[in-house]
Amino acid sequence: MKKILLVDDEDSIHLLYREELEEEGYEVHSALSGEEALAQLKIIAPDLVILDINMPGINGIDALRQIKEINPALPVILSSAYQEFKQDLATWASDEYIVKSSNLDELKAAVKKHLA
Amino acid sequence: MKAGGGFCPLCPGNENTTPPEVLSYSSNDGHQANRPGWDLRVVPNKYPALVIEGSLNKEGDGLYDRMNGIGAHEVIIETPDHHETFTSLPPERMIKVFLAYRDRLLDLAQDPRFRYVMVFKNFGAAAGASLEHSHSQLIALPILPRMISSEIEGSLSYYKYKERCIFCDIIRQEINQDQRVVAQNDLFVAIVPYAPRSPFEMWILPKRHASSYLAMDNDHFKALTTIFSECMRRLNTCIPNVPYNFVLHGAPLRSQPLDHYHWHFEIMPKLTMIAGFEWGSGFYINPIAPEEAAQFLKEAAI
Repeated sequence: MKKILLVDDEDSIHLLYREELEEEGYEVHSALSGEEALAQLKIIAPDLVILDINMPGINGIDALRQIKEINPALPVILSSAYQEFKQDLATWASDEYIVKSSNLDELKAAVKKHLA
Repeated sequence: MKAGGGFCPLCPGNENTTPPEVLSYSSNDGHQANRPGWDLRVVPNKYPALVIEGSLNKEGDGLYDRMNGIGAHEVIIETPDHHETFTSLPPERMIKVFLAYRDRLLDLAQDPRFRYVMVFKNFGAAAGASLEHSHSQLIALPILPRMISSEIEGSLSYYKYKERCIFCDIIRQEINQDQRVVAQNDLFVAIVPYAPRSPFEMWILPKRHASSYLAMDNDHFKALTTIFSECMRRLNTCIPNVPYNFVLHGAPLRSQPLDHYHWHFEIMPKLTMIAGFEWGSGFYINPIAPEEAAQFLKEAAI
């Protein structure tokens, strides 16, 4: 079963995403911050990371760069409520940038694509 | 390739994280596209603000006008060295940046949907640069930016009155007065403008009238590189690692040579904040007189 590490500081995102992704057959692990995600990376060894950007502490873009430093081949999907972070060229290190929506079809399609 | 602040998508070895390049220069004969070994490469923005596919679909919406967000957004990766700044580029590599602007302008001009290409550079977080790796950008637009149309209309108004290009007149006066000239060579002059918006703002203008950047020949590219490098090094000596923006202003794509308009670069150090007064009024508060700024820059040891 493929493992997804979901990184977001909002509990509601974890509740919504976990249920939908587990229905798709994925094993979902949660991290509430960039620091926690980096700590869990080696323990869980996920197959894919879904990463929020606007978080206290290490923001998602800094976390992204550190994740790719550790494992360049690990797919990382940036998931943000804001389009504006697309102007940050550091987001290019990600494999996809999804703007958050209550409809997770785009996110699920991206997950499926990068875990294929 | 490891970068100072973690993974850098613009560094050599990470070409697979960028869209395929649209242009690259290499000193190596056997260099393959989208592989390390480049001296400069240009790639489309991975997450562009405008999309290149589709049509404009211009339509009216009451008294408003709307169209699709069609355009091109590209990133010019100026050096393979993550830590090398534009200012420190040796002339033989800085000239490649200016040539890349030309080559992309020529290519994008072939698309009839685009009316203007805005070439710009952000350096330093305060100036909007999100990544340390030295780069500039260009955005091809289906409409003329207001600032450009304002410059063109204003210069046309002056031309109708005086039958002379206002920029040519500025160049003549500034060289004669020599109060705000920072540097010059046979083909270019760099000045602090009479009413600068920011301290140490500089304009670089060709001495010979031309409305389009694309009018330059090889001698002009060499002379532009020389003066641009000198100006950036002078600025960096005065204020080390100052954040800045620069923009290229020129005639719209595919336009005939314009007698009234004159292409130029504008370099804006980011030393002051644009706050409510500046934004609301369009006025700028500059604590340093342009003559003093020019003097500081001219006297900087480089």
